[in-house]
Parts: sequence; C-alpha cells; structure tokens
Amino acid sequence: MNMPQKVPVTILTGFLGSGKTTLLNRILSEEHGKRIAVIENEYGEVGIDQALVIDADEEIFEMSNGCICCTVRGDLIRVLSNLMKRRDKFDYVLVETTGLADPGPVAQTFFMDDEIREEFALDGIVTLIDAAHIDQQLGRSDESTEQVAFADVLVLNKTDLVSDETIDDIEVRLKDMNRMARVVRSKQADVSVDTVLNLDAFNLDDVLERKPTFLEPEYPFEWTGVYSLKTGRYELSLAEGPDPEMSLVVAGDQASDDAALREGAEWCVRRYAEPPQHLQPKDDIPLWDHVNLHLEASGRKSFFLVVEEDQDVGLYTQHTAEEFDIELKTEDGTVISPNAERTWVAQHEHDDEVGSIAIEADGDVDADKLNDWIGELLRERGVDIFRMKGFISIADEPRRFVFQGVHMLFDSQPDRPWGNTPRRNQLVFIGRNLDETSMREGFEACLI
Amino acid sequence: MSDLSPDPEGILKRGWSAEVGDYAIAGGWLRRGAALAVGDSAGGIYVFKGKSGATAWCQEGAHDGGLLAMAVRPKGEHFATAGQDGRVLIWDVADAKVTRAIDVGNAWVEKLAWSPDGKWLAVACGRQVRAYNPKGEEVWHSEDHASTVSAVAWASADELATACYGQVTFYSASNGERGQTLEWKGSLVSMVLSPDGDIVACGSQDNTVHFWRRSTGEDSMMSGYPGKPSALAFDGSGTLLATGGAESVTVWSFHEGGPEGTRPGVLELHVKPVSTLAFERRGMHLASGGRDGGVVVWSMKKDGQGGAVGAALVTGVLSELYWRPDGQALAALDGDAGVTVWRIQ
Repeated sequence: MNMPQKVPVTILTGFLGSGKTTLLNRILSEEHGKRIAVIENEYGEVGIDQALVIDADEEIFEMSNGCICCTVRGDLIRVLSNLMKRRDKFDYVLVETTGLADPGPVAQTFFMDDEIREEFALDGIVTLIDAAHIDQQLGRSDESTEQVAFADVLVLNKTDLVSDETIDDIEVRLKDMNRMARVVRSKQADVSVDTVLNLDAFNLDDVLERKPTFLEPEYPFEWTGVYSLKTGRYELSLAEGPDPEMSLVVAGDQASDDAALREGAEWCVRRYAEPPQHLQPKDDIPLWDHVNLHLEASGRKSFFLVVEEDQDVGLYTQHTAEEFDIELKTEDGTVISPNAERTWVAQHEHDDEVGSIAIEADGDVDADKLNDWIGELLRERGVDIFRMKGFISIADEPRRFVFQGVHMLFDSQPDRPWGNTPRRNQLVFIGRNLDETSMREGFEACLI
Repeated sequence: MSDLSPDPEGILKRGWSAEVGDYAIAGGWLRRGAALAVGDSAGGIYVFKGKSGATAWCQEGAHDGGLLAMAVRPKGEHFATAGQDGRVLIWDVADAKVTRAIDVGNAWVEKLAWSPDGKWLAVACGRQVRAYNPKGEEVWHSEDHASTVSAVAWASADELATACYGQVTFYSASNGERGQTLEWKGSLVSMVLSPDGDIVACGSQDNTVHFWRRSTGEDSMMSGYPGKPSALAFDGSGTLLATGGAESVTVWSFHEGGPEGTRPGVLELHVKPVSTLAFERRGMHLASGGRDGGVVVWSMKKDGQGGAVGAALVTGVLSELYWRPDGQALAALDGDAGVTVWRIQ
C-alpha cells in the first residue's frame, strides 16, 4: 500500500466582513495549478471554477465526557473522509469558517479523529482582522478573541481605512494576545499566498527569527505619561495607593509616538535594573534616574521635578497613574494633562485573560520528564491553553523535535538534525490566565 | 498484515478479482449471487458476473463529484446509487440502465437503505431522511434532524431508524410518522439493528458503542475503544454484535443476559484498525476487513469467542465485505479500486 503524503489544510477564520472571501478568491486564482477543495460554512461568493467548493453546515460535536478539547466538527469529518477516497486527491484543503466560529473544534478535528489525522495535516490557522472594526469585535465575543489567540497568521486587513498610528496600536495589541502569530498588513486581503499557505515548513524557524519581539520582556513599569513642560519647577502629587512605595524613571526628550515610547521603554528597562535612589515626600526627582518614592505617610504626598529647559518628559511609573491618582501640577497649582499616555501591561489594556508565554532555554531536556510535565500541564490547564508550539532538544536525539498542539491535544515529531547549530528549546503557549512562573519552572525542571 | 500472503489461506479459496476506476465505495450481490455490483468514488458503476468476474456492464461518471452510497434492492433485480450531485439513481440490472433518477436536494446524498420487502427506499440527504417508492416517487420526508443524518437502517419492513448527533429516531415506513426516539449525548457515526429490530447499537465519535433494548428501555455503553467504532455487525440470530474501533474485533454476546458485565471476545490478527465487518447470514462466520488490507474469516461461538479459519490480503484499505447470499463466497471492496471474490470451502 503506498503511503501518500498528508494533504495540508489551512483554516481561514475571521470576523464578519473582514475579507475572508476576498482572500479565498485571491488564493484560488493565484494557485490555479493546484487542485484545491474549499469547505465553507456560510454562503460565500467563491467564483473559481477549478476549485471544488463544498457548503457544509457547521456541526459541532461535543463528546459525552463534556470535554471541550474533545469537541470536533462533524461536518469536516464527513466531508474530508469522502474527499480522501479519490485517486485524484486534492493538493490542498481550505476551510473557511463563519465569523463567529470557535476555531478550537475545527483545529481539534485534525488531531482527534484518527482517520482524518492519517490523511490530513493542519498547516495553519489564518485569521483576518478588519482594522476598522476591531474594537467592536474584540472583547465583545469570546470567539473573536479566540480566533486571534489560535492564529498562526493574523492578516490585518483594510489598513487603508484607519490611521498608521491606529494600525500600530492594533498590531501591538494583537501581539500581546498572540506572540506566536505573524502579523501581515493588507488593504484588500492582498497578501502574498506564501504568507498564508504551506506554513508548516518554516513556521517555527520564522518564529525564531522574530525572536526580539517574540521574547519581548515584561516591562517593570505599568504606565507612561508624556508631558510638555517649560523650564520650571513642577509638583508631582500622589494619593494613597496600593503600595507604600513606587519606582519611577523620568525620561527627558520623550516624543509621544509609539516607536519613541517603545524606545523609551527599552531604555527605562535598563534604568529600572539599577538600584533606585530613595526619595521622601518633598524631595526633588532627578531626570534620567531610577528613583523609589516612599509613600508610607497618609494623605496626598508631593515630590518636585525641576526642568532646566523646555522639553517633553516621559514618566515611567511602576503603577498606573490611576492607582495613585497621579497629578503633575505647575507651581501655581494648575494640573497638566499628558500629551500621551500608555499602559504597558498588555492584559490591562484590552483583554484581561488571553496572552502568550514564551519559554526558551539552552541545553537538552529529559524526554520522560518532559512528557510527564506536558501531560500534567495539559490535563490540568488544557482547556485554557489554546495553542502550543515549539521545538525541543531531547537528550541523545540528533534531530530536533517539533511540537504543535491545540488545547490538550498535541503532536510531536522529529524534524531536521541539529548539526552544528546550538541545541536549545523554545516553546510558546497561547492561552487564558496562564501562570508564567510555574510553567517556566516546570519546564526548567525537565532540563538535564 | 505481515504474516499474510496475497494467497488466500484456510477456508478462503482463490476466486476472481477485478478493478474498478477508483476507491471502491459500496456494492452488493445481485440475483442471488449471479452478479456483483460495485460503485467507485469517481461515480463509476460496475456489474461483474458472479462466477467469472467478467464485466457484465459498467458506466462511468454516473454521479458528478463522486458516488457516496449504493444499496441493492432485495431480490437483486435493481439497485440504487447516490452521490455528491444530490441525486439518487435506480438501476435495472438486466437492462443495464437507470430506470429512475431522483433529484433529492442540494446536499450530498450519503446513505441509502431498501426496506427488507423492497417496497421503500430510505435516502439520507443532509439533515433529512426521505422515503421513496420503487418508482422514485417521494412518499414522505422527515423534519430536520439535529445534525446531518449519519446512518439509516430498517428495524422491520414497516419501520425505519435514523441516527444523527445525539439521537436515534424511528419512523413509520408508510407515512413517515415519528415514533420512538432514543437519546444520548454524543455523535453517533454508525448504527446496526438486531434482526428482530429490538437492539439498536451505535458507534460514537467518542470511541464508544452505545446500545439500547427497545422492548425494555434499557441502554448501555461499551467504552475502551481506542478509535471510533464505525464498523458494526449483528449476526443473523441477534446473539453477537461485532464491533471495530480498534485493530482487534470486539464481539459482545447477548447470549444468557449479556453483554453487560461480561467480557467480550477479542479477535486479534489485523495490524491496523478494522474498517468493515460482515456476518454470514445463517451461520457463525464473521468476516473482518482492516485498513491494513487484511481480510479474516472467524468461526464464532455464542459467547463471542472465535478463531480465524481463513485469511487473505488485498492491496487497499477494506471498504466493504459482502457474503454471497448462499454463503459460499465472500466479496471484498478496497480503497485501491480492487474487487476480490473468494470461494468458501
């Protein structure tokens, strides 16, 4: 019996009106040499002749055990089982979901059903986002959030309808939710087909290349306010807050755009790493230095800021301005409003729950310990872990192992040999309310 | 199946083999075994002579997009085929042509079943089941099921059973009136009824077999299968229920109060999951086919235990096995477009 290669499947998901059908038609017209089957759940206007378009009602099959990780899409199992019984097999399958589809069961179908798993391989999940309507979508429905969290590629579409700044903000926000995904911008879903199909081969290497943002540090400060100040003495007033002390760095020459704020943040991370200068109320706050404000006394407390030439300054505070009701006033008591404000902890920005954790470590892991750890992790937290991806250096194994998982289901298989490249491990988890510290410790315990 | 050779062993003796155009999906013996009909996934219909395997007639591309189901009408002078084109065709064996073409709907027509007396043809298309008379006229259709209908089977000449997500439903054959429903939260992917229509067994997507005794209202669940039990078969006396869902065949015995609380027979020879099962109608011979291309005939005892008495190997995944009505031959359809018939000795 010949063993044909598995047929790759891309799941195309996205909010209503985000441009799924446009992208689908683009793929079909550019990939005209291939036999592509399209499975749709809502009536779309796919008008390419050589593709087989199958309309199927979305049928979500829950299991009697009630486990959401075992939930599959019955319509896909049925349609795909029949498609694979053809000699002239399809080269590629595209599954287009409805705007409100939960991507979990769709992806799980390719892990849970043995016969489907034998013939098809999930290549990637592509989520389209309508840049002009993201606010209405995210946060309003769990499905929209999960479509972002599950994605391998996020196509930020209709970027011509919003300002560049807004797009930058959206991109930061999306990456906060899903650090694993590549974000691609487009106007009318005009992305190159390479960025959405056949991801499997380079997916993980790609993640590695993007390491700087991928392993973005958690900032030690939660808030930044940028103020335009003339030469003079200013009062920084704080009410009682959740902490008897608070760290602060005041940066001079701080511009308000996103790039400048990120640059300032990187610089401040280094200042925060230095031991602080301790200040009592009424003390002067120096520019450029890490200071620790002592706030034990009751009532509002004031510190002073002396500006020697006109400039915009950025206050990088350990807690948000709101928590301490921070006010910056002129000497005559006028409260100054910031030109720009920014909150650094992503979870506080938009979505309280969904986020990414990246774990990276050099060296080898013990295969048994790793299996036990992942097994336990997925048993306990599988419902909250949407995606898991990465590669692992297993002791005495010349090839690197690639992991990929959806909820508590995962596949691991040997990939290319390590050769001369340094042996290391990299894992990414996208999920809800994940405990980074305990997961990191759990993984580190598997290292040899 | 490493220890099996393409040469049949045991009671299976070389008969004939033939090829169809694509994955052999379904078929059946016609005219008491004088001919064998086979449909392939490309929509080709083939009728072979029963003794020699010579092609009596064939027609390619009968269903645009491919064939999904085939059912031989009792007495074997007609058979029905259905496909992705949303159509059902009723064929006359002697005339080698379509006598009725029915446009059922826009969805795939995936299941067909003739009533035991040949008076009705049950057709599952999407979420509905429809009953036709042999002239191809619709007699009734059901309301929408909770999901696409996954199986249809006749409990008797007067009563049809359907399975879907979460439910088995019974319908009166003559007017489609809804009768008993048997509910269970799970996706039912296969269904078989005991010959007296009392026991309904369903394989479920969550790797269990659920069954109900209609007369007493009792139901039970058999779990522990590593895969989904899509292959199920009852023997002619209603004593043994053979189930797939694994590399082994699991046989539950309803003899003497079972199968609750009893250990099933476990028949092991296949090296890949069992994909089809068929009991010889009168005796205790069970044929199993696997995804490994292996075909094994087992001699069964009433307690569900059994031993292999014949085996053979074909090149493709086994899709269906059909005992000739006289029990003297076994036909195998496979995914490599193969049709193989062995004599039983």
